[in-house]
Amino acid sequence: MIEPRNPGSEGRTTRPENAGSPPDWLRAVQRAANVLGAFATRRSSTLAALLILASLLVIVAVGPLVSPYDPDALSVMDRLQPPNRTHLFGTDNFGRDILSRTLSGTRITLLLGLSVSLFSILVGLPLGVVCGYYDRIGLVVMRGVDTMMAFPAIILALALMTILGKPGIVNVILAVGIVWAPRMVRVVYSGTLSIRETTFIEAAKALGVPSHRILLRHIAVNLLSPVIVQATFTFAFSIMEVAALNFLGVGIPPNVASWGGMMNEGRMYLTRASWIILFPGLFLALSVLSFNLIGDAIRDRLDPKLREVM
Amino acid sequence: MLVSVLLVITVTFLLMQLIPGDPASVLLGANATPEQIAELKATWGLDQSIFTQFVKYIRNFVRGDLGRSLFYQEPVLRMLGARAETSILLGLGSLLVVVGIGIPGGILAALRPSSWVDNLFLVIALAGASIPSFWLGLMLMNVFAGKLGWLPSSGFTSILETGNLANLKNLILPSFSLGFVNAALVARIARSSMLDVMQADYITTARAKGLREQVVTIKHALRNASIPIITVVSFTFAALVSGAVVTENVFALPGIGSLIVQSVLKRDYPVIQGIMMIVAVLYVFINFATDLTYAFVDPRIRYR
Repeated sequence: MIEPRNPGSEGRTTRPENAGSPPDWLRAVQRAANVLGAFATRRSSTLAALLILASLLVIVAVGPLVSPYDPDALSVMDRLQPPNRTHLFGTDNFGRDILSRTLSGTRITLLLGLSVSLFSILVGLPLGVVCGYYDRIGLVVMRGVDTMMAFPAIILALALMTILGKPGIVNVILAVGIVWAPRMVRVVYSGTLSIRETTFIEAAKALGVPSHRILLRHIAVNLLSPVIVQATFTFAFSIMEVAALNFLGVGIPPNVASWGGMMNEGRMYLTRASWIILFPGLFLALSVLSFNLIGDAIRDRLDPKLREVM
Repeated sequence: MLVSVLLVITVTFLLMQLIPGDPASVLLGANATPEQIAELKATWGLDQSIFTQFVKYIRNFVRGDLGRSLFYQEPVLRMLGARAETSILLGLGSLLVVVGIGIPGGILAALRPSSWVDNLFLVIALAGASIPSFWLGLMLMNVFAGKLGWLPSSGFTSILETGNLANLKNLILPSFSLGFVNAALVARIARSSMLDVMQADYITTARAKGLREQVVTIKHALRNASIPIITVVSFTFAALVSGAVVTENVFALPGIGSLIVQSVLKRDYPVIQGIMMIVAVLYVFINFATDLTYAFVDPRIRYR
């Protein structure tokens, strides 16, 4: 991938190394990259992300109604079937329908992502505002927050799962929430630091507005945009992390169909039945992608300056 | 930096105090008599006050004693040492992918903005942020180990013990699946940083004095663009460690990442505690080393 040694090509737009006709596969890659790249930088990608999100929400709402089979129904006769007309996504080693299980996993995934985001807002917003407004509290608490961020996400989540005891939905929300809340605190904290120096806060103080009112009505309200953006990214990261925990077998109990859990169960049959892993992974990647794109879009829309901070 | 290390140790210690029940009754099981539990607690010093325990804990840490595994009765440090080789090699391998693909890719993209290389890295970076590395790993394993049979699918035996360099082949797929995602991220940062620098007047000057384009790119532009690149590469450390936990599990590599997962499943607290601490301390050190690197790349920082 290093620039070819070709003194003649300096500063020119034509590339002699490609002057002949490049092989077909390379041309296909080039074309695909250009089309996708142009797409990703345009508004239409946000639209696509919103469409993905909308379809996920529809799945959550009507999933059980359209799901072709019971996600937990065993059928030994149909085990390890490749995708076909009766089982669009194929079946796993117990003959369970992958499509139904993937749809059912959507619910649990979005539920967990939403809970973790809410948790991070509920903890991060008050704590961040108070830390940013009162220097003494901030000095102490932010050291702790920074220390929490020194642990790589999955390692901290694993340790927290051990501390919280047995696997379960609430414990997963707490473990992943505690991992991501410090990042929210950081965002709110730095926002508060800059807002509290503004003239309208000074004016509010001069008018004798009580501190709690300043924190709530003047500072917290003005931080909603970065908080929403950060919450969107938290959503994306947390569903990925939840999937990793489930994949490792320490997340939610294995009897609940989840994308990570399905991928874990499918590992034994990877070469024989890769569809068991392929489809939940695709759903996960698409969901994360849509939240990342929506987060980017909200950020650019609400405040273009945030691009540099987040 | 010492303060940060101390804080990391404190937080780990406090987190482990939150575990419901005590390790003594966990180890002895449900049939243990209260006397047995009390005796074991006394041997481990668990009957002393938290503060005394903490002081003792720090003293042991400084001496390199991280406690013993509840299950294997082995010192935690030795267990980590036995598994360090795999994890370090995996880390270096994926770092090689990150730097080897990310930086040249970013430079190429910056030299020809909105060319197909630029677009390719944009798409990969976007997709990379969304594709779980364990899924990528499994899919690569399916294709390159399963269908094509070019590379071994899993496992790793020590090179230090067997002296067999061919074992490195086992790390190609894991390193790639772990590093690839982060490589695209580094490429994006390298690109924007290079684009900024290429606008500068001294680049025009360098060209005007007739320097070859490669010299201008590598010596003049890259060096000045390197601080954001170094920052993002050092950030990938945390991402690589997190990813390694899952990747080692996917490829059945006997490293520290698979050790922590096993320990979580067995509730082997001292091992989890030891790994958390080592990793976080390493993180603090890497941040420190990154700051030192800035001064090395940009001499102006030294005079500030």
